[in-house]
Parts: sequence; C-alpha cells; structure tokens
Amino acid sequence: MNRTASINNGAAEIASVLVVVQASFSLVAGLSAIPFAVVEPGFRVLALLTILIAAAMFWLARNLRRGRRWAWRWLVTLEVLSLAMTALLSLLPIGAIRGPVPVLVNLLIPLSILVLLAAAKSDARRAA
Amino acid sequence: MYDIATDHAAALSAALITLVFGVAFVLGLRFLAARHVAWAARTTQAYGAATSITKLAAALMLLSGGIHLALVPGHEGITGVLFIVDGLGFIGLAIAAFFTTWWRRPAVLWLVATILAYIVWVIAGWESPDQVGIACKLIELVALGLLMRLANPTRRTWPRRIWRATAFPLMACVTTLGIWVGGLAHPDALHAHAGALLQPVADVATAEQQVAAARLLADTRASIARYQDPAAAIAAGFKPGAVSSADPLRHFENAANANAILDPTRPQALVYAQTTHGLQLIGAMYQMKRAGQWGPDPGGPLTQWHQHEGICFSPFGIEFSFETPFWTCPVGSTSITTPPMLHVWIIDNGKEGPFAADLDKAVQRQLTGRS
Repeated sequence: MNRTASINNGAAEIASVLVVVQASFSLVAGLSAIPFAVVEPGFRVLALLTILIAAAMFWLARNLRRGRRWAWRWLVTLEVLSLAMTALLSLLPIGAIRGPVPVLVNLLIPLSILVLLAAAKSDARRAA
Repeated sequence: MYDIATDHAAALSAALITLVFGVAFVLGLRFLAARHVAWAARTTQAYGAATSITKLAAALMLLSGGIHLALVPGHEGITGVLFIVDGLGFIGLAIAAFFTTWWRRPAVLWLVATILAYIVWVIAGWESPDQVGIACKLIELVALGLLMRLANPTRRTWPRRIWRATAFPLMACVTTLGIWVGGLAHPDALHAHAGALLQPVADVATAEQQVAAARLLADTRASIARYQDPAAAIAAGFKPGAVSSADPLRHFENAANANAILDPTRPQALVYAQTTHGLQLIGAMYQMKRAGQWGPDPGGPLTQWHQHEGICFSPFGIEFSFETPFWTCPVGSTSITTPPMLHVWIIDNGKEGPFAADLDKAVQRQLTGRS
C-alpha cells in the first residue's frame, strides 16, 4: 500500500480539518446553485461539479489522515490551483477579494494547508 | 452583500492584538522559564506537552474570545452581556486546554452554543451578518473541527462513525445557511435586493434635484429614441449581451462610451425587453469605471446609483447565483462586484419609478410575460 505512517501526524490532521472546512463550504456553494440551475442551464453542470468536488475533498481529507500519499499529492495540486486562481482573480478589477472573509477562505486557508502538507511531508522524510 | 459594520471594525484590530499578545506571552514565558522562574517553567512545560492540534484550537478560541470582548462596547443589553460571558469563556477554555484534561467537551459545547446563538441572532434580525461576525464564525468552526479530531472514541460502532464523519460538515452547512437566511431576510437599508448595494443618499430630494432628475429622464429618453430598432444600436457600436433564459432583459453595451460620465448622449448600455413581438427599448444604463466609485446623482435620492456585489458569475454565458457568506461560489464561477450603475427607464416603471435599480415586477410581467 502506498502509505507513509508518519504523514499521519499533527500537521496532516490539522490540514485535513481545514480541507473538510473547504469541502463543507464547496458543498454549500454547490447546493446553493441548484435553485439558480432551474432557470440557468449552465449552473446545473456547475452545481453538480461543485458537489462532486466537495465529496472528493471529504474523501481526500479522510485519506490524508490515514497517511495516503496519493491524497497528499491530489491535495497539493488542488490547493496550488486554488491559490493560483485566487491570485489571478485578485489582479482583475472585479472585487473578487474584498474584506477579511475572502482573504481567510481563499488565501489563508489554502496557503495554510500547503504549509501543513509540506510540514507533514518533511516529518515523514525525517521519520524515514 | 456582507460589509464590515462600523462598530465591528475594532474587532479586527483586537484580533491582531490578541495574536501578537499570545505570541509575546509564550516568548515571555520561555524567557522566564530559562531563568528558572518556577510557575513559568511549569506553564512552558504544559504548553510544550500539548499537541499541535490543542495549541491551534486554544489559539483560535483565544482569538474568538478577544474578538467578542472587543465587540462589547458596540452592543448593548443582553447581547453585550453575552459577548462578555462568551469572550471570557473562550479565554478560560483556551487556558484550560494546557492544564486540565476535561476542557475538550466544554469547549465543544461552548463553540457549538456560540455558533448556534449567532445564527439565532442573525435570523431573528437582532444582529446583521457582517464580515467580522462571519470571520469569527469561521475561526470557531475551524476550532470546532480541530476539537472533534481530538476525540478518541472507545466504541467504534457504525452510527458513531457516521456521526463523526457528518457532524462537522453538517455544522458548517447549517452555519452557512443560517447566516445566509439571516442576511437575506433582514437586508440593511442600503440593499435594494439581494446583491444590489445602493449609493448612500439623503432621505428627501430638494426642488432643484427633482428638476435635475426630470431633465436627466427627458434627455435620456430623447437621446436613445434613435435606438428603438436594435439594429440601429448595433450599427452605433452597441454589442448585444448574451441571451439568458433567466433574465428577459437584454443589455446592449458600448465600450466606446466607457469613459463618459452620466452623459445622456453616450450611455454605457441600452436595455431592451424580450417581448413576444421582439426586442423593445425600455431604458438606458449609465455605469462608472470602477467598483465603489459612485457617479454623480443630480437628482439626489431620486437618481440613486447601485452596484451589484456578491454575485457568482460564470464566464460561460450570463449565468449567475449568489455567493455564500463564506465567499464561495460554484466551481467555474467567481464572485464579482460590478462598478456602480444607474438605470433610466424610459417606459412607465410603475411604483418603482424611472431610476429604480430594477424594472418593476408588474411592468416586467406585462412586457415579457415573465417575472
């Protein structure tokens, strides 16, 4: 099994909690798009996709806690993508990041998860 | 849709001060412990023995406690008293995390009670959800999630496993939906409807402002009359917006007019209604260049600008929904805030009037057959 026991440490546990927080918010965003999907056909796809991604994130968080390396890799990819998208959107004059809540949710949490994942990996290397 | 309430702004400074104080306190303890001060050495030892999850959960509770105490001066009556109790409770539990074994369950109960109380207050309209309140709930949710991970179940039965897996996401969903319901049920005076923030204006228009508003309406009506035929608008450089099955109104925008400011001869957009007989010109839209940059309002409260915020906009056509209080949108869409705009309706816009943010529902139904 592709597993490193020492990935299952405090940093990974905290990262998994933050991923569950993100997944919960994604789940609500997906569910909240359903009423709009009744009249906006495009949102049917986006709502379904968002709910599926939320479900995948719950699964990844669970497997990160269990020390699965593939979960670690997928989460790093997802968080880097999320951060890159946020950085790109914040450069556009569309008011995507305005106030402490978007900074916490879209910048600080993904950044913290990446730092925690890096810490978990380095702990795993040290233990090996 | 969610701004920072004026009386809540101090809480942001309090949060930073609490963080700096917390770090300085730990460093001070280590300094004293190195000099063999007995109580400092004991405290440092207890801190060092705690897991990283415990330390982070305690720090987050300390942060929430500091924010609650900083909010007390702006809240009178029972809310202020509850903020004091809540703030002190969080600080007490954050300290207890390092010296007791029983702190976890009371802390979970305290966090759940605080979050649920906030939802009740917001839905009842006793508190307006703003970014400080929502950020505080985010901090408490993360602390709650950490504390739930600290639980060490002795009996791993299926119902317990399912409860452990679903309790926290359920709490996060209930919190989000609760804040949302409260915000939509009790919008403040400057929110015309969900997602539209109105320009702050005086309550009553002066005689001069009434004349100026009437002049703007007449000038706009005279200027855009030549675009009754959409083909004439297209020939003049107006580009038709995407067709939306949700919105029977179509905006034709002209990028060449982007720099004009409330110029009836150069409106930024024309608004057409999709009627059974085709497109019918019903008004013009003036728009500023940047979000937050309110335009001139010659009619005072009669010509009040508005900007749309908290909208999840998808570039795949005109598709939108509302963002959640935690600023999340469905995948493939992003939260946007539009520059301020002023509609001038050249048709009779019912009780809403010629400068309303939206077309009157009854008028829209009559024109398009849809509301």
